[in-house]
Amino acid sequence: MRRPDFISSNTFHWALMVAGVFAIFVIMLFGFIYWKTDQYLIARSDRMIASQMNVIAGLSSERRLEALDEHLRQDSRGVQYAGLFGSDGHRIAGNLDSLPLELKMDNLVQTVSVVRMVPTGRENRMIRAIARRLPSGDVLVIGREVDEIKEMSHVVGEALALGLLPGFCLCLLAGAWLSVRAQKRVEEVNRRVQRIIAGDLRERLPHRTVDEPFSKLAVIVNGMLDEMETMIHALAGVGNDIAHDLRTPLTRARLTLERGRTNAATLEQLQAVADKAIAGIDQSLAIITALLRLAEIENSRRSAGFGSVALHEMLREVCDIYEPIAENKNVALHVRVTDQLTVRGDRDLLIEAVANLVDNAIKFTPEGGKVDMELLRGDAEAIVRVTDTGCGISEKEREAVLRRFYRSDKMRNTAGVGLGLSLVAAIVKLHGFRLAIFSGSGCRVEIICPDREDGVKELPRLGKGRAAS
Amino acid sequence: MEMVSGKHTAPGMPRSSNANAFAAIENQLMTKVLLIEDDSETAEEITAELADRGFEIEWSANGIEGLDKARLLRPDAMIVDRLLPGMDGLTIIEALRKEQVRTPVLVLSALGAVDDRVRGLRMGGDDYLTKPFAIVELVARIEALLRRPAESRETTLRVGPLELDLIERTARRGDRMIDLLPREFRLLEYMMQRSDQLLTRAMLLEEVWNYKFVPATNLVDVHMGRLRHKVDGPDEAPMIHNVRGAGFILRIAP
Repeated sequence: MRRPDFISSNTFHWALMVAGVFAIFVIMLFGFIYWKTDQYLIARSDRMIASQMNVIAGLSSERRLEALDEHLRQDSRGVQYAGLFGSDGHRIAGNLDSLPLELKMDNLVQTVSVVRMVPTGRENRMIRAIARRLPSGDVLVIGREVDEIKEMSHVVGEALALGLLPGFCLCLLAGAWLSVRAQKRVEEVNRRVQRIIAGDLRERLPHRTVDEPFSKLAVIVNGMLDEMETMIHALAGVGNDIAHDLRTPLTRARLTLERGRTNAATLEQLQAVADKAIAGIDQSLAIITALLRLAEIENSRRSAGFGSVALHEMLREVCDIYEPIAENKNVALHVRVTDQLTVRGDRDLLIEAVANLVDNAIKFTPEGGKVDMELLRGDAEAIVRVTDTGCGISEKEREAVLRRFYRSDKMRNTAGVGLGLSLVAAIVKLHGFRLAIFSGSGCRVEIICPDREDGVKELPRLGKGRAAS
Repeated sequence: MEMVSGKHTAPGMPRSSNANAFAAIENQLMTKVLLIEDDSETAEEITAELADRGFEIEWSANGIEGLDKARLLRPDAMIVDRLLPGMDGLTIIEALRKEQVRTPVLVLSALGAVDDRVRGLRMGGDDYLTKPFAIVELVARIEALLRRPAESRETTLRVGPLELDLIERTARRGDRMIDLLPREFRLLEYMMQRSDQLLTRAMLLEEVWNYKFVPATNLVDVHMGRLRHKVDGPDEAPMIHNVRGAGFILRIAP
């Protein structure tokens, strides 16, 4: 026979254990009450016996016999014992057959075994009794059977049966119920998770508004799912953008080849066609290369290859490379360095980032404009600033420019892949720096490199949270 | 793969200025190149192209066999893929370098992980190329490796009428002094050390400007344009040539 699932569940095991501990505790409690009550009843009974002894022993011998009879007669429950024995030990009066041997004279109340005379014969009893030798030499014994104890144990037993058993069962039931409930929720969660795995990204885990760990957990997981859904949609969007941006040059190459095949009459014409087609394919390759590079930087975890990079030298180098390009476009390119600042980082990557910014700046600055590269000392940070006199970035576009393939509508006709700033953002993030883009007329972009607190601090890993602003 | 020797007019490929770029190789027939690459398509493409250029090429598809061949054949240059069955490409290079084999090695890799590149070069590779690459880039780099300029104590570089004084930092073409900016001087120096060799844009970026990436703007063309303007006077025979779709070459004017 198969055991129901809940019996093997952890919750049920816990419930079983708690029920067991609870039962042991209750039994101990009842035991303690029983023991204490027993002690109390015996002490009370002992006091009564002692006072009766005092009263009866204090009477004259005739009155004593009467009192004894009276004492026994009034005992409706048959718990009183009394006996008067001669100095030789023979019975004078009372319901005791003989003087109990273990009973010590003139001592405190003690437990002894006595033989009692009843109309049907004799019976052995355990009672509390006291014995005193009277001045006459006779021995007076007064005893009492503490029969309330019996009642007590009866009551305690009943209470145990009435309280403990149902309590224990209730515990087990609660355990079973809780474990079945937990199991049901786990199954429900599993069902939904399976649906999410199957591709239904909008599915969420069930939760109630009450303050309960399971619901809290579900809320946390749902939050994560929201984030992932957004990210996956964003990725899908990027995929579309990639497809679109790749298709454009490829389509152009294809058209060129098609037309060339039909129209080219000479070798030179065919070569020109081939060159044009190659250029189109090269552009597609450039996009793929840029994407791979972006992925490479974004997935990079390394800071081991970091060394110290002199920013002022780096800016001069970038300026040196871009000066002719700026000159060709009649754009003035200047470097202004106030301090000689050094940061920890990957020189090649940082040059790539700054070069990208300058490349962009020159590209988007109309003829006669100027591009400035500055190295500034901020409040516990080094700032690399690239400013241009181009059309600038509007407030609305500030976030968008970091997106892959985003190109301002104003710039649709400018050459470029649209990955430059994404690349810069990725590099900046890898270094734990910040990228700030300022809107307004003319564009101002800053790479903010916070000072490290000491010389050896581990650089932050690439991750969420320190995104470029 | 059979070697196509002598006149390197590959089928279907017109003799163009592109092919001229490699004319110098003609004099070095039977230059032996060992290719260790597990992807047969890539290998075939490389083999065909290098054979067309007049190299004798030996191909090995796995690392262990490749290492054996490298020891046995003593090639003039090697092209080694990073990820290989049997033995990692870098391990091969390391093993050879330990045996004091100084054969120049071009390392190929599927992903241009920055770390990969650094490791590849540290292990003794001489150059590094990331897939996918243009075949012309590979050929140019192999040629560059084969004809690496010897460590020379010459303080003056000469190519035809062109003269570069490395101490005075001056340049002249014939009697005409050429006024060069430092960056132009650096570029011309590099080109003169490798005259008659095709230099691709990526090679120039890496070697002259220490750039490890391909920038959006055609930086090299702009710089080269300026240098050419200074080196090749209006009525002088051009020495700096643009090889379409490939790169640049500095050559004595005929």
